[in-house]
Amino acid sequence: MSAKLEIANLNKRFGGLVAVNDVSFNLEPGEVVGLLGPNGSGKTTVMNMISGALACDGGIVRINGTDITKMKPHKVARHGVARTFQLVRPLPTLNVSENVMLALAFGKQRHWGRTAREMAEDKLAFVGLAGRGQEKVGDLTYIDQKRLEMARALASDPDLLLLDEWLAGLNPSELQIGIDLVRHLQDQGMTILLVEHIMEAVRALCSRCIVMSAGEIIAQGACSKVLQEASVIKAYLGDDHA
Amino acid sequence: MLEHVINGLVLGGTYALVAMGLTMQYGIARIMNLSFGDMIIAACFATHVLFTALGISPIAALLIIVPASYAINLGIYQVMMKPLVSRAADEGALEVDSILLTFGVLFVIQGILLIMFGGGYNSYSFLNTPVKMLGTVVAGNRLLALVLSLAIGAVLVFILYRTRWGMILRAVSLSPQSAPLFGIDTDRTARTAFAIGGAMAATGGVVVSMFQTFTATAGVVFTMKALIVVILGGKGSIPGAIAAGLLLGLVETFVAAYVDPGLTLAAVYSVFLLLLLVRPNGLFGKV
Amino acid sequence: MKTSYAFILAGGVLALLATAPVFISDYWTGVLLGMTGYVTLATAWALFSGPTRYVSLATVAFFGVGAYTVAVLNDIMPYPLVLLCAAGIGITMALVVGLSTLRLAGVYFVIFTFGLAELVRQTVSWWEVNVTYTMGRYVFLPFEGRHIYWQLLALAAVTFLISWSIGRSRIGLALKALGDDETVAAHSGVDVTRIKLLLFVISSTIITLVGAIQAPRWTYIEPSIVFNPTVSFMTLIMALLGGAMRLWGPLVGAIPLFLLFEWLSGTFPDHFSIILGLMFILIVFVMPNGVLAKFDSLRKGSKL
Repeated sequence: MSAKLEIANLNKRFGGLVAVNDVSFNLEPGEVVGLLGPNGSGKTTVMNMISGALACDGGIVRINGTDITKMKPHKVARHGVARTFQLVRPLPTLNVSENVMLALAFGKQRHWGRTAREMAEDKLAFVGLAGRGQEKVGDLTYIDQKRLEMARALASDPDLLLLDEWLAGLNPSELQIGIDLVRHLQDQGMTILLVEHIMEAVRALCSRCIVMSAGEIIAQGACSKVLQEASVIKAYLGDDHA
Repeated sequence: MLEHVINGLVLGGTYALVAMGLTMQYGIARIMNLSFGDMIIAACFATHVLFTALGISPIAALLIIVPASYAINLGIYQVMMKPLVSRAADEGALEVDSILLTFGVLFVIQGILLIMFGGGYNSYSFLNTPVKMLGTVVAGNRLLALVLSLAIGAVLVFILYRTRWGMILRAVSLSPQSAPLFGIDTDRTARTAFAIGGAMAATGGVVVSMFQTFTATAGVVFTMKALIVVILGGKGSIPGAIAAGLLLGLVETFVAAYVDPGLTLAAVYSVFLLLLLVRPNGLFGKV
Repeated sequence: MKTSYAFILAGGVLALLATAPVFISDYWTGVLLGMTGYVTLATAWALFSGPTRYVSLATVAFFGVGAYTVAVLNDIMPYPLVLLCAAGIGITMALVVGLSTLRLAGVYFVIFTFGLAELVRQTVSWWEVNVTYTMGRYVFLPFEGRHIYWQLLALAAVTFLISWSIGRSRIGLALKALGDDETVAAHSGVDVTRIKLLLFVISSTIITLVGAIQAPRWTYIEPSIVFNPTVSFMTLIMALLGGAMRLWGPLVGAIPLFLLFEWLSGTFPDHFSIILGLMFILIVFVMPNGVLAKFDSLRKGSKL
């Protein structure tokens, strides 16, 4: 259920732009860590390199000691890494249940048939979509699409969950539901890396944060401490506030 | 050797010319026009008829055929393409819709040409006088074709890069969503680009008919070559279309001269695939 | 239980169709034969192009290669072995084409397949003229129309069985998913390239076999006959009309269109191409939801 993630000297360039420069950090099994930073600081790029969506220009990504740096996304997924997307991406041709069954069928365990249907229902119940498997994804509200996205990620039975602004765009009561859901996973011992702008959620969930700016890590450590650091405030708010 | 270079440039010049037309239609109007080659062939036949039946020289025919095809293509856009554009949910949907629709147009044009002219080879003799040049001999009509292609191509490049109106066209090509925010009428721009593209096809047809034989069913091959040039050059890129067109013309001529005329298409395809695998966005495409 | 009834029904219809040549004239057997051929082509085409939304125009390239294989090999080896060879060549060609083009974006794939038939035709012509010094070949096989019809019917049944079982399998689910959004499918663990390649190979092999089985119908074969691009277009339009995403869609589209084309080509042979073109235009316009909704409105990006 939980995995150790090691990232060393990750690099990515887009043409002349250095999007990620020499980024290294580790996640211990069961840790929930926030990856913070202003827009364009390279957080999502790091997520994309971990999940295999982007090829790295340099560096190593290891999950439980296995080098997954050069693996394609589907291989990474089978090594127990699941992710959600910054903008929700439900599959409209499939119904709610089938969206989840896809990850069940092609995840680590490869479930199919009746087992898969039952497990999909379990996952949906876990995120709060019990009994709604036959609905069209287009009919779901925004929070429900986010729930579906989470259920799909969980269906592949991941050891490491990458949440890319999964809590963004929710209203306060929905946000509380979302935070509770992530905390639930945390209690089950899942390793989670979340990119997030909502500090309320970061404070509530993360024991530790990593702050990026312009492609580099500028601070890391306990949340309460890191968020007070001058360099972090400067990166977010500019010189005057430091 | 030099003879093949010149012949290759002549052929490549016409490819570049028609590919510029196609890239206007695809890059700016967002219509993937698979009947493009048949519009070229239709212009070939029109020139043929004007020349043999009425004695109008192909140069004068240009003045009749090009404006006519501008008008016809404007009509085609208004009647057939515009409903598709307005109902398309996104670019991908428009792409598939326009492909399917222009298949239909392809068959209609081809069918009409077959009924009117039959399936045989057609050609006429115009300006077939040998011209000595750089120590080799070139047919006058080929030289004229090259000059015409270059001149018309240059005019288009000038319009696109040196006039306000050209800037509008390029803006729509780069970003159809944000162009309207600057007060650009994208619908009108698309319509005009499609019509210009059609007029370029007609120009290409007139030029090609001066030195090549043509059949009613040859449109598909022209479409393919023009598409290959557009893709090789990078969607919407005029300099790319010129470079890729010339490259293709040279490859074809050299393969025909030194390997086998029956393998030109295979050679063109190999170049196409090879380049696509190395540079998926074309020679001058955006990364 | 519903499934088993459907199977019994389908089996019954199949048996009825198989006995049909005993009761009907040779002309109508010929019509049934052609119809079965197109039903198989359209179903096989939709197997790959329906869910993935890669519009393939390579149908006649594979169809023609199948027919040509029979033409070349029919007097040097027994017929079952010839069919096996045809299937093998189809698989090899599909692998080469698939590996080099399936990573291309949709529209490039259309264009590549658009030219593939022409490329294969020219290459075969060149080979025949320059290497084997034959232009045109004869196929002498002791088959009557009904023999060919029975073979095609069997192939059609197998194609439906494959299509049905893929639709129920996890591969079917993965196909639908990658048609919607390749990135999400890949991150859910689907090996996108491999599944696309697998389906392309299955679809192309069936198409090659249709060409191979129909070859004895012509007796005389040359490149311009068996690589007629109309085959690709008719297959495409039949599958689209009926709906390429459904098991029975291509069949529903193929039967009326085949009969219509058969009648048109008999009644207005010179105007056939024009009518085919107008039909194409009409289907795109009049059935925007037939073509658009089944094929594209759910394309990636449209839901944002």
